[in-house]
Amino acid sequence: MASDDHHIPNGSTTTPPDIQFEFAHHDPAIARINNGSFGSCPSSVISAQQDWQLKWLQQPDDFYFNTLKPSILKARLIIRDLINADHVEEISIVDNATTAAAIVLQHVTWSFLSSQFQPGDAAIILHYAYGAVKKSLQAYVARAGGQIIEVKLPFPVNSDEEIIQEFRKALELGRMNGRKIRLALIDHITSMPSVVIPVKELVKMCREEDVDQIFVDGAHSIGCVDIDVKDIGADYYTSNLHKWFFCPPAVAFLYCKKSDILNQLHHPVVSHEYGNGLAIESSWIGTRDYSAQLVVPEVMDFVNRFDGGIDGIKKRNHEKVVEMAIMLAKAWGTHLGVPPHMCSSMAMVGLPACLGIFSHSDGLKLRAYLRDCFKVEVPIYHREPEKGEDSPITGYARISHQVYNTVEDYYKFRDAVNKLVNDGVTCAFLSD
Amino acid sequence: MDMEPLAQGTPKRRRWVVEKREKKKKKKKKKKKKREQMEDPQANGDHNHNHIPKKLKLSSPSSFISDSEIRQEFAHHQLGIARINNGSFGSCPASIIAAQKQWQLRFLQQPDDFFFNHLQNGILRSRTLITSLINADHVDEVSIVDNATTAAAIVLQHVGWAFAEGRFQKGDAVVMLHCAFQAVKKSIEAYVTRAGGSVIVVQLPFPVHSDQEIIAEFRKGLAMGKAHGRKVRLAIIDHITSMPCVVIPVRELVQICREEGVEQVFVDAAHAIGSVHVDVKEIGADFYVSNLHKWFFCPPSVAFLYCRKSPIALDLHHPVVSHEYGNGLAIESAWIGTRDYSSQLVVPDVLDFVNRFEGGIAGIRKRNHDAVVRMGELLARAWGTHLGSPPEMCPSMAMVGLPSSLRISSDDDALKLRTHLRDHFEVEVPIYYQALKDGEIGGDNWDGRVAGYARISHQVYNTVDDYLKLRDAINQLVKDGVTCNNLP
Repeated sequence: MASDDHHIPNGSTTTPPDIQFEFAHHDPAIARINNGSFGSCPSSVISAQQDWQLKWLQQPDDFYFNTLKPSILKARLIIRDLINADHVEEISIVDNATTAAAIVLQHVTWSFLSSQFQPGDAAIILHYAYGAVKKSLQAYVARAGGQIIEVKLPFPVNSDEEIIQEFRKALELGRMNGRKIRLALIDHITSMPSVVIPVKELVKMCREEDVDQIFVDGAHSIGCVDIDVKDIGADYYTSNLHKWFFCPPAVAFLYCKKSDILNQLHHPVVSHEYGNGLAIESSWIGTRDYSAQLVVPEVMDFVNRFDGGIDGIKKRNHEKVVEMAIMLAKAWGTHLGVPPHMCSSMAMVGLPACLGIFSHSDGLKLRAYLRDCFKVEVPIYHREPEKGEDSPITGYARISHQVYNTVEDYYKFRDAVNKLVNDGVTCAFLSD
Repeated sequence: MDMEPLAQGTPKRRRWVVEKREKKKKKKKKKKKKREQMEDPQANGDHNHNHIPKKLKLSSPSSFISDSEIRQEFAHHQLGIARINNGSFGSCPASIIAAQKQWQLRFLQQPDDFFFNHLQNGILRSRTLITSLINADHVDEVSIVDNATTAAAIVLQHVGWAFAEGRFQKGDAVVMLHCAFQAVKKSIEAYVTRAGGSVIVVQLPFPVHSDQEIIAEFRKGLAMGKAHGRKVRLAIIDHITSMPCVVIPVRELVQICREEGVEQVFVDAAHAIGSVHVDVKEIGADFYVSNLHKWFFCPPSVAFLYCRKSPIALDLHHPVVSHEYGNGLAIESAWIGTRDYSSQLVVPDVLDFVNRFEGGIAGIRKRNHDAVVRMGELLARAWGTHLGSPPEMCPSMAMVGLPSSLRISSDDDALKLRTHLRDHFEVEVPIYYQALKDGEIGGDNWDGRVAGYARISHQVYNTVDDYLKLRDAINQLVKDGVTCNNLP
């Protein structure tokens, strides 16, 4: 079915979704302002997924032989169009960005082991790269003899220029002594703290500086910011569809620009399709529930019931989260960690210094306390203050806005923090 | 409370009556809860208790699951299909699917809370139950992964690193059976051959008549492979081969491996749990994997990988590296990024399910085995063929020879026949092509040559009619002079 039929700006042939109904399964007592961590999935998509699960249970052999592969192909074709890739062979569907990282980095391992890369060749990553990805670099790059260069980025940050400058410095440092940079791993939207990175410019710089390959970790991107993989120009690009694109857990795409190397990429869970190309390998990694990968068409139907489709959703989420962030910052006398144009559907809002957030574990304690005592779900980021900072803000809340959020969610958070401040509560007093 | 007698009809008396009733209700509820806790320690939140519920179940025959309840549990199976291939993709009863949906809902309701407060406990609980089921020593030895394919990648990636980091030398060997599962063969190619290892393939006989044949062939094959002083680093042995399906005497083969200086043994027991008795200590392998979604009623997909405590077990890693990297395989496997872990969390519910059957899982195994052997013999008699292995080497599956007139000449033919049976006779059963042995004359001499076998399964939802349907389908094809060549 052509989802374009439904994409009419004034929504005259489709009914806008009943948001209350679609997200009725969300715990109603919680102010759920953390869509970034685990995403969300509307009832109509869950229902579609259950239909797929039932089909499998009814007659798995028939499903395996006749239905599974064409259905995955359908999802891949939709994703190809969504991200402006050239060929469907460039699109593989995997569980999540973590798996995509393992695929790309395992290939780096083999390059070291087969002496295509030399010991000491480097991979460059952002200091704010996702924790799981850093571990993957340890497991696959460092272990194979590669060096890891981390680019320290400023936070709070005020402009793209600041990021571009730091990255350029790090690239130059990295290439000192004739060291070869084999891979740059760049977040499109960093996780903690959450910042939209000027990936196009960084990719361009990497090309100019002769970096072999560039992998953009866009875990949050799809449904959150625009993705045009040709425009961005990276060799690899991954994003989770279960975060901001309304899919059930878990499904992600890994885009691999057509090249000789594409044939050398493998899914680490090796099955019958080994050697038939990454996309085909990934479509069968043993008996599993593939239903999350099959509902992409139903998700397109869902987003196209909104005014402006996914673009409209992105725009409204962004505007709303900035509005709420500014409201909170005003109420608490703090500031945003990132200017609006570098916010996605998430924003970093400074928390009052008197809360005494002095470590990562303080952030966790505060998050748990907000969940248990105030029914607010929001992740807290701790930042090390610079030397000589006066009364620094060391804690930031990463607030999200998705279609199911209401203003009350943020008021609840505002009031919770105000109460903590009034009561003189600090993280030191909170139990582990 | 005042002790004066209360006058009938007064508000005070009415209140007293209501209070008494409420007190009685509360007492009854308390008693019920206590009774439930005695039957299921987990109701107390007692996560580390190794106790298997069935030992406490004081069941009487009348409380066993009835035939109509079984039909209800599998009512979602497509009507009209003779589903005699439980071996490929398994099956899951409705009550387990419902339990799984509960877990899925809990994640969707409040995923952060689920992640921080419930997921790890749920997985630990499943691991603890599995530890008891398979007689492992310690829950640390039991990791939960998606399937046996993933487990193979874990063990073989470790072999790959050993070659890369110089612990193994180029040419050191890995042993596998010639009928090892195709996915495992590919994994060996991807991680062992690619890293410089060599592969020793041991041919096993089929049809087969006794454990002794297998043991003799394995000993021979291993010795030949070790010729020229090749070091054998790992042996991969199936507990129940897939195609053709035979129960392998793993304990004896593991012993032979030890005697022959094989460093490590990995038993691929994808079909084992719920199908044959599993005692990992008795079997004595270093690694043992089985899928719980095949014969143990779990939804797709979930498997356990047992790794006997050793320094090597500490160096195993899940290939999808996440936050828990370095914290041990079991902990690594319990979080490999945002995913639906619900199938891993219903193991306690599955134990409740199997304990509704007489004899629990052991009873189910026995009855499945007896029934599939009976049905296999019925089919062999009807077609004038034979079983591919004796009953004692059949688990809940049996290989039944197909009439030679069908002229199954290749793997493609076998697949065509399978498809034809599905599309035209509503029978789902995998077909195995038996290639000619050395010295056998093929060509046009099809007289009595059984070149194909049907691998029939029996699970609790099967009835005799399923097998009669297959019997009649094949008889029809023979009567119509159909061969794999002229299948539409």
